[in-house]
Amino acid sequence: MGKKIIIDPVTRVEGHGRVTVHLDDHNEVSEARFHIVEFRGFERFIQGHPYWEVPALVQRLCGICPVSHHLAAAKAVDRLEGLDPEDLSPTADKIRRMLHYGQIFQSHALHFFYLAAPDLLFGLDAPVEQRNVAALAIANKELARKGILMRKFGQEIIRVIAGKRIHGIAAVPGGVYKSMTAEERDYFLDGQELPSVDQMIEWSLEVLAFIKNYHEKNAGWLDVFAAYTSGHMGLVNADGALELYHGRLRAIDAQGNITLKDVPDEYYRRYFSEGVERWTYLKFPYLTHLGRDKGWNRVGPLARINVCDYITTPLAEKERQDFKAYSGVMPNNRTMFYHWARLIELLHCAEIMRDLLHDPDILGSDLVRTGQRRSEGIGVVEAPRGTLIHHYEANERGKLTRCNLIVSTTHNNEAMNRAVREVARQSMGGHPSITDAMLNQVEVAIRAYDPCLSCATHAVGQMPLQVSLFDANGILIDERLRS
Amino acid sequence: MNASAPDRLLIAVGNSARGDDGLGWAFADAIAEGGRFDGEILYRYQLQVEDAELISRAGQVVFVDAWQNGDTPFQWAPCEGKPQPTYTSHRLEPPAVVHLCNELFDAAPNAYCLLIKGEQWQLGDGLSAHALQNLAQAIDFFNLQIADRA
Repeated sequence: MGKKIIIDPVTRVEGHGRVTVHLDDHNEVSEARFHIVEFRGFERFIQGHPYWEVPALVQRLCGICPVSHHLAAAKAVDRLEGLDPEDLSPTADKIRRMLHYGQIFQSHALHFFYLAAPDLLFGLDAPVEQRNVAALAIANKELARKGILMRKFGQEIIRVIAGKRIHGIAAVPGGVYKSMTAEERDYFLDGQELPSVDQMIEWSLEVLAFIKNYHEKNAGWLDVFAAYTSGHMGLVNADGALELYHGRLRAIDAQGNITLKDVPDEYYRRYFSEGVERWTYLKFPYLTHLGRDKGWNRVGPLARINVCDYITTPLAEKERQDFKAYSGVMPNNRTMFYHWARLIELLHCAEIMRDLLHDPDILGSDLVRTGQRRSEGIGVVEAPRGTLIHHYEANERGKLTRCNLIVSTTHNNEAMNRAVREVARQSMGGHPSITDAMLNQVEVAIRAYDPCLSCATHAVGQMPLQVSLFDANGILIDERLRS
Repeated sequence: MNASAPDRLLIAVGNSARGDDGLGWAFADAIAEGGRFDGEILYRYQLQVEDAELISRAGQVVFVDAWQNGDTPFQWAPCEGKPQPTYTSHRLEPPAVVHLCNELFDAAPNAYCLLIKGEQWQLGDGLSAHALQNLAQAIDFFNLQIADRA
C-alpha cells in the first residue's frame, strides 16, 4: 500500500504551512505539495479605507518584513497623490531607502543566523532540539553574538526612522514623516553605543568568507540539493544593476535569456497572471506570454543576483563576481545558493547604509511634496524575499475600491513546490520508513527561500504550517506536527 | 540615543489585540502612568534572541506576561536561566532569554517573572473582568515592591 507524509508545521519559516507527500506502492514519491492554509483577507478588508491609511494598515500583514509592505504601499500611495518616485525630495527618497536597506539587512541577518545557520552548522540530521538559534548560540558564541548585533543594527535603523522596530511610521503620502538628526546619524557611525556601520560591513565580509568556505567543503550536497531549472526575476536600475527600492522588472529564463526586459513597475499587470489550485490559498504568478508552465520565476536574493548585470557597491560587486566565478556564468538554479546570495545582499545593504549615513541629504528638511490626485497607484519594491507588488485604486473621495498584492513568497510558490518535490523524491523515495532527518530536508529546501507565509496569504489572526504521508489510496498513514 | 537598558527594565510581553494576552501591556501602561518606577518600560509581542543582549546591560529585569494556567491572580518569582529546547526562534520564554544572556554575554541580571492570570484570548476582545481584577492586584503588589526598594 502507498503512503502519504504530512509535515506540519514547516519550521523556521515565517508563518504556517504544510507539506504532503504521496508515496506509491513501492514507496516512491508520486506527488509532493507545499500547502499554505492561512486565510487570505487583507486585500478585501482594507477596501473602503482612505488611501492615505494604507502604508500604516498593510504593514500589519507581517511582523518580520512590515517595512517592505509599508514602503511598497507608500510608493503606491505617492502615485495616488500624483507623485512618481523621482518626484520625491532627495531627503524623502534617501530616508526611505535607508529604512528599506536597514529592513533587508536585519531580515537577512535574522534568516541566516537564526533560521538557516543551524542547518549548516549542525547538519540535516541533527536532533530537532538542536536545530535552532539558541543551540547555535551555545555552540558558536562568536557567530551568534555577531548575528544578534547585526540584526539589532538593522532594527535600530528602523527604530530611529520609524519610531519603533515593528509597525512604526516613516513614510507619508509624498514623502516621509521625519529625517535624521545629526545625533541619530552619529549613533550608527561612531561605534560608541552600537557597533558601527563599518563594523557591519566587516562582519558581513566575515560571514561571506564563512559561506564560501562552507560551499567549498560541502559542494557535494549543496550543488545538487533541490536543484532544478527555473526563470528568475528582480528589479534592476536603468543600467542593469541590482536595485532593491525602485527599478524596472527584469526576468530571465534558466539559460539567461531575457523574458521580461526592464519593464517599468507600473506596467506589471500587462505581463503577469496568477494561477490558483484547490489545495492551497497561495496563488501561482507567472509571465502571461510564457504561460503557467514556463512563465513562473524564482524571486529573492538568488534570482536578483542572477538577473542583475552588476552591483553598485564595490565590496558586494566583488562578492558577486566571486559567486559567478564559483557557480558559472549561467544563471544559478541551485536552491542552496540562496544563502550565499542573501549574504552578498547583506553586505550590499551595509555598504548602502554607510553611504547614506555620510550623505547630508538624510538630515534635510524637505520632507513632503504634493501632486495632482490620481485614481490608481502601483508600488513595487524588492522585499527581503523578492519582488513585492502593491496596487490600489481609490474613488474620488479617496476611499479604496480595489487592492491587489503579489508578495515575494507568492512568486516563489511554484519554486518551493518544485523544491519540495525534488527533495521528497531524493530523500524519501524508496525508503520503507520516514525519519525526522528526511522531513527536515524538505524543510531545509523550503527554508532556503525564506518564505513569509503570513505575508503570502495576507493572513489575519493566528496561522496554522504542517508534513503528511498518504498511501496510494489517499489514506493518511503518518503525520508530523511540531507545534 | 540608544534603546539601551538602564539599570532596571520592565519588559511587558503580549498583544493587546488578543483579549487577556494584553495583560502584560496593560500592566506596563499602569506602571508608566503611576510614575514611580525608575527604570525603562518596554513592550514586546514576543521575546526574541536579541533581548538577551538588551538585558545583559541591566541590573534588574522584570518580565510581565499573561498567565493561562495559573491558579492564583498573579505569580511573582525569580527567573533563573534555563535552555529552551525548541524548533522555533520566534518566541522565547523569559528563562531562555536569561540563559542566553548568561551564556552569550556573561551577564546575570536579577530577573523576575510577574505572571498575571487571564482567561480569554480572542482577537479583538478587551481584558476580561477577571483579568482586570487580577491586574489590579498585580499592580498593587508591584507598587509595594517598588516602595520596598525605595
